Amino acid sequence: MSTTNTPATSAGSTSSTSPTSTPPRRGSIRASGQLWGWRTVDLLTVSFLGAAFGVAYWAWGLAYTAPAAGLEALFPPLQGITGAPWLMAGVVGGLVIRRPGSALLCEVVAALVSMLPGTKWGFTTLVSGILQGLGAEIAFLLLGYAAFGLGAALLAGALSAPLEALYEWQTWWTDWDLGYKLAYAGILTVAGAIIAGGLGWLLTRGLARAGALGAFPAGQEARESHAV
Amino acid sequence: MLEVADSGERGGTVLLDGAVPGTRAGDVGLVLQEPGAGIVSATVGRDVAFGLENIGMPRADMPARVAAALAAVDLTMPQDTPTFALSGGEQQRLALAGALALEPAVLLLDEPTAMLDPVNAESVRRTVDEVTRSRGLTTVVVEHRLGPWLDLVDWLVVLDPTGRVVADGEPASVLALHGESLAAQGIWVPGFPDPQPRGIPAGVFEPSSTGANVLTLDAADVTIRRSVRALDGSTRTTVAVQDQWFQARAGQVHALVGPSGAGKSTLLLALAGLLRRQGGEVRLRPDLAVDGQRDPRELGTIDLARRVAWVPQWASSTIVSHTVLDEVMTTSRAVGLVESEARVRARALLAHLGLAHLEQADPRHLSGGEQRRLAVASAVVHQPALVCADEATVGQDRLTWAAVMGIVEGLRDTGAAIVLTTHDDAVTTRADAVTVIERPVQPPPAPVRRRPLVARAGPLSLLAGASLAIPAGVVSPRWSTSLLVLSVQAVLAVIALWAPGRGPAPTGRLRGVLLRLGPGVLGALSVAWSTWLLGGHEGGTAFTAGLRVLIIVLPSAVLIQHVDADALGDHLGQRLRLPARPVVAVAAALQRVHTFGEIWSEIARARRVRGIGATARSPRSVLAELWALTLGMLVRSLQSAAALAVAMDSRGFATAYRRTWAAPAPWRRADWLVVAASLVPLAVAVLVR
Repeated sequence: MSTTNTPATSAGSTSSTSPTSTPPRRGSIRASGQLWGWRTVDLLTVSFLGAAFGVAYWAWGLAYTAPAAGLEALFPPLQGITGAPWLMAGVVGGLVIRRPGSALLCEVVAALVSMLPGTKWGFTTLVSGILQGLGAEIAFLLLGYAAFGLGAALLAGALSAPLEALYEWQTWWTDWDLGYKLAYAGILTVAGAIIAGGLGWLLTRGLARAGALGAFPAGQEARESHAV
Repeated sequence: MLEVADSGERGGTVLLDGAVPGTRAGDVGLVLQEPGAGIVSATVGRDVAFGLENIGMPRADMPARVAAALAAVDLTMPQDTPTFALSGGEQQRLALAGALALEPAVLLLDEPTAMLDPVNAESVRRTVDEVTRSRGLTTVVVEHRLGPWLDLVDWLVVLDPTGRVVADGEPASVLALHGESLAAQGIWVPGFPDPQPRGIPAGVFEPSSTGANVLTLDAADVTIRRSVRALDGSTRTTVAVQDQWFQARAGQVHALVGPSGAGKSTLLLALAGLLRRQGGEVRLRPDLAVDGQRDPRELGTIDLARRVAWVPQWASSTIVSHTVLDEVMTTSRAVGLVESEARVRARALLAHLGLAHLEQADPRHLSGGEQRRLAVASAVVHQPALVCADEATVGQDRLTWAAVMGIVEGLRDTGAAIVLTTHDDAVTTRADAVTVIERPVQPPPAPVRRRPLVARAGPLSLLAGASLAIPAGVVSPRWSTSLLVLSVQAVLAVIALWAPGRGPAPTGRLRGVLLRLGPGVLGALSVAWSTWLLGGHEGGTAFTAGLRVLIIVLPSAVLIQHVDADALGDHLGQRLRLPARPVVAVAAALQRVHTFGEIWSEIARARRVRGIGATARSPRSVLAELWALTLGMLVRSLQSAAALAVAMDSRGFATAYRRTWAAPAPWRRADWLVVAASLVPLAVAVLVR
């Protein structure tokens, strides 16, 4: 109990790379303490992040109609591009908190908050949130909750898409020919990687540089890169 | 004493009654500086019960403890009063009640009155004194305004800027011995006269050709209503400013005073052209007009920035640059001043405010007091004719106070009109004119209306009902079946919205549903069209696809608006037995959603008045603004999350693995009916094949 529970102090005890004194760090810093040991600040940060994304999701639900209609007129599966921003909360939640369930919880809270005031898609918003969050969660799980760089963000953004696309095949695009369905899934996946993954990574870096992630590994990484 | 999850390291040991603090949940009670920062729940009574839930107290034992804690802090309103409706002073006393409910040994108060008006501040100090003495508590107050606390405290410890203890003893002897040197270090020592504003170096501001006392701003009959949008889509409107008159003259400092919640900050925003008015006029003096337009509200971002400055109360969320110098230079650059001259002025102001050594630092990493001083410098360095500053001296010590007021008076002496909202007597006594603002009379609350049948159901059955529409839509095989399913849903919707009983009928039921359903109809058309195009050009299939969308979204449009977001956590935790800590965290976030929109607007206003707001002519500026606003909103919400985490842990949340729930989550007959009714369309879709 002689130090506070910071990523700075506990990263050293959990990283297995090198026991020597402060070697230059390679790769990402893991969540502090036990991987499953959610601190209060983890729970609240992921909830507030999700809620803030929920507000943005709701606003995008109003704003996206025009661009989506334009893309639909060109080639309907291109609507995957305007769907991709809705995948971002899971990526950011995972990149910030770095604990099992953080990506899923963040995306689900965002979907819930955007659903409650009333959205075009009603309850399916929440179903989509669960499936998208699960996809992002699978990406971080595959990486063992140990990698949180740009590559991990792109993977999480991409994997947010397939479950969602399968679900949309069943509900919205049921009678499209299979080729078009596959095109939609592919476009959503690529757009998810670039828009949700890439922008989500940039956003996380921006938050860290703004000093808003002091209690998290991403904030620790930003401090280290500043110090160098 | 609290295990705080933040950056930093700690050495040494802290013992509380011989044990490590935190051994017993709630043994260290905490009140934060910002009123409302530690509020967890939607209602007053529930918020006090939060700590009791964390220690697993049986529900039946809670009311007595809650009532005693509320009585101790003299909060007498009904326990179902919404927490956001409290004044700042009441919110601080509520935080105190929440701590007292857990019977703490120690109370920690972090400048608990810094953001309150004198009346509210006095009520908080009196309450702290009473509970400390009657309960035999050890209370630690962090303050740099000693005066009002002096009669209440038994011991005084003084830290220097590096955190070293420089004085430690009984207040009278510490002040007799060190009073002079403490005042010289900037501490507000009682008995010492207010500091004199420290003049800025000559030549920083150019003398203006405007004669003194010329009317720079003339506001008449200003009325502003502010609306807060709740999570269920409803809005709550309050009158913030009613028929207010105000005039600001060149070469004068005007103080706007009045109790918290009187509408000072709102009026200030209206004067600076940053809020839409519901009535009245605001006009700048004729030589400041742009193409004859004198209303600052109608000016473009750059024209506004040239003429008007606004210093926000929350300086941290309105930062726009990555270095302190760039932050100060932002508006000068936006309005096209000569870079070298502007930089000389910027550096002079930074030096005056004690920020010169931070010129290349990231402004977001400064302390709160430094950020406020930086906001002053950034707002006025280009010498606008009208300066509107919101509580610019909060959190400043004697030295920095003198520096800030030196800038204010320096601007005044070169012909600017200054409007300051303040609770600071030292500011008011120096002002040339003082305007007292009273809280406007609010319209009477709307009559209680009859509730539609659907509103009697709890959140889980409503969500379940909405979810059952998905299989109903998916399994429906052809358009004729879909049409039948949709008709059944429509009949059920009418029943659900029926509001039997006495009293005035609820308004806007149908309009609300249609408003939510409208986008769904567009979605149905779009899905039908793409199905026709990509699914073999078959009309029947396309029609079925469109109807499927309507079947899926219609029940949501009727049911989801009645989900009570405040009760959702109780139901998820008790009925679905989801893990309590995440559920409570999410519920706490849902309480705050309505504040996110305000943060967004505040950042947008700051960008506009500083000359870097988005303009319709430049798509790039719109994108830049979207990014900045999103990032800013996230930063502020994460800061609230961090503060709330500390407050919640001080009330035993960190170890709340066996929580109880203060409110029940009943499953009533209405819930069965909603679920049963929602199964009917699904049954029709399955059976009528």
